[in-house]
Amino acid sequence: MPRSNSPEGEAKGAVFRVLLMGNPNVGKSAVFSRLTGAHVIASNYPGTTVSFSEGLMELDGQQCTLIDVPGTYTLEPLSPAEQVAVDMLEEGDVVVNVVDATNLERNLNLTVQLLKRKVPMVVALNMWDETLEHGINIAVEGLQERLGVPVVPTCAISGEGMKDLQQSLKRARPGVLTYEEDERWHLIGDIIEQVQQVDHRHPTIGQRLSHATVHPVIGPLLALVMLTVSFGVVRFVGEGLIGHVAEPLCNWLWLPVMQGLSDLLGSSGFIHDLLVGQLVDGQVSFGESFGVLTTGLYIPVAAVLPYVFAFYLVVGVLEDSGYLPRLGVLVDNVMHRLGLHGLSIVPMMLGLGCNVPGALALRVLETRKERFIGATLLAICVPCMAQLAMIAGLLREHVVEGFLAVFGTLFLLWICLGVAMNRFTRGATPEIVLDIPPYRLPYWRALLQKLSMRMKRFLREAVPYVLLGVLVVNLLYTFGVIGFFGKLFTPVITRLLGLPPEAVGALLVGFLRKDVAVGMLAPLGLSLRQLVVASVVLTAYFPCAATFVILFRDLGLRDMVKSSIIRVVVAFSVGGLLNFMMTGLGL
Amino acid sequence: MRTNLADLPAGKTAVVVGLHGGYGAMRKLDAMGVRPGKKALKLSSQFMGGPVTVLIDGRQVAMGRGIARRVLVDTTD
Ligand SMILES: Nc1nc2c(ncn2[C@@H]2O[C@H](COP(=O)(O)OP(=O)(O)OP(=O)(O)O)[C@@H](O)[C@H]2O)c(=O)[nH]1
Repeated sequence: MPRSNSPEGEAKGAVFRVLLMGNPNVGKSAVFSRLTGAHVIASNYPGTTVSFSEGLMELDGQQCTLIDVPGTYTLEPLSPAEQVAVDMLEEGDVVVNVVDATNLERNLNLTVQLLKRKVPMVVALNMWDETLEHGINIAVEGLQERLGVPVVPTCAISGEGMKDLQQSLKRARPGVLTYEEDERWHLIGDIIEQVQQVDHRHPTIGQRLSHATVHPVIGPLLALVMLTVSFGVVRFVGEGLIGHVAEPLCNWLWLPVMQGLSDLLGSSGFIHDLLVGQLVDGQVSFGESFGVLTTGLYIPVAAVLPYVFAFYLVVGVLEDSGYLPRLGVLVDNVMHRLGLHGLSIVPMMLGLGCNVPGALALRVLETRKERFIGATLLAICVPCMAQLAMIAGLLREHVVEGFLAVFGTLFLLWICLGVAMNRFTRGATPEIVLDIPPYRLPYWRALLQKLSMRMKRFLREAVPYVLLGVLVVNLLYTFGVIGFFGKLFTPVITRLLGLPPEAVGALLVGFLRKDVAVGMLAPLGLSLRQLVVASVVLTAYFPCAATFVILFRDLGLRDMVKSSIIRVVVAFSVGGLLNFMMTGLGL
Repeated sequence: MRTNLADLPAGKTAVVVGLHGGYGAMRKLDAMGVRPGKKALKLSSQFMGGPVTVLIDGRQVAMGRGIARRVLVDTTD
């Protein structure tokens, strides 16, 4: 029981503010989702929460604000995210200190610092479910007594203990613990000795696997297997869903409706062309008609969504299993040559799904140099799933060669550009210090929740842009803009890149949406060489508008101009080079 | 024998005796359990100056080679 002589931590202000604080990766985001019912993304790597999120929570019939503070190891801020955490401490009424029970000693470091600050608080002993597996016994009562604040065991992913945690907030109180700074670890060691007992366990399969995945030889081999499998699964699931679900559904349900609408509108005219598009051999074609209601809906929902689903399914498993930090360790070496560090592989991978979350994830990078290089590489070399799905559709007969050529070029470019920028950009790339979380079996409910959140976000953000994109395509054609630019840029488009002049339309629309842009290539009947060149140039010359806005905000004008110049020069010279090389090879 | 985490061979255990690097990185290591008195099992170091991974308190901590060089340890055997 809490000590009765300490003061009650009662609500005083109008809006009661509860702060969730703890080390990185202890499950704060998961606790936040549980307490607010709002969904935020939780992943098994440190630093998921860079900026904080706020939500509402009910406490005794009263609304209060819950704030998910970025993870921090100490109250002496070591990084911008930690500075945010410390600054926010001033604004809270109560702190819920989320602690990883499987790693108590290290976590108590922050706990005792919070107690010393005398903020009213409670401690959530999260990951309680895992303590059993690890053979860890914690005397909750004893800990509560030593700390002088309520301590509640919780398991945020299953929801156990969350009610108790909420109830305990009423008993929140400032700590009674005091200590000299140089006595801190001593004090913590003392507490640990008193309340924790660890049975010796043989290394679990997870732990053995964990050691193998960072082995300098076995690790990269396993990584190769992992990535190949991931790629295979994305393709298998994505293609399967399109072939067996999305396409049949569209053809049975939507096609007759559109055909009817087309007849109703008299098969031609401005309104008809806008809504239904151009008929191909007298028929509506979802791929080529380019009406807002045909191609405009077909692209995001039938052609892209299945791949987005497959991608986020795989990424979700990778994230929650805890594999990504290990991959970060394996590639750290290579990444340093590009002026980045290992964990920057995460924004790049997320960028493969959609560049927007990739760009947001770049914010974890610490120095200006890293952010500049990261943003430039992301914008130039990382195609998004929407674009890839469309390319896969176009390359139907040559998927393997085509993708090898496109990815091979982009990967080489990524390395070369990175090395060059590392050499010519001033600034430092700090070495990593990384806590590697244990492997966890992904919890399927959390996984599905995250997946559905990401799909919804995709639909919400992609559909309007795609519709707008298709509308723009129609306007461009109607007003002859494509013909005009086609003529204007003939030297670049035809001579340098070896593409038909109409391909300029794809480059224009690519500013807005890459999937629509690739879709515009469909009616042009391009050869494999042309498809590869177009895909690479479309990836490199500009990120989509949504990504551009974020990068611009984060990099500032000067760096963005620099980055853009590099981008345009690289895109067209590499496109030209590819064209000449592939022509030379007789493709 | 006195050495550091970078030079400690993989598979060997040693006791941390001192952290001698830049403030930020060392504070972070300290908070992650890499601090004097702790037993560390070196798991691996990646090729060509890549990061070092150690096991401390049953948890893996990875750090750049330069940082590992500044963590002094005494081998126990
Ligand atoms: N087994 C188990 N896993 C949990 C529990 N709570 C969270 N997790 C998992 O632990 C990982 C980290 O959770 P997050 O909620 O992202 O952690 P966080 O503290 O918000 O992390 P940062 O935002 O990086 O500071 C995720 O993979 C969660 O699914 C729990 O009680 N038990």
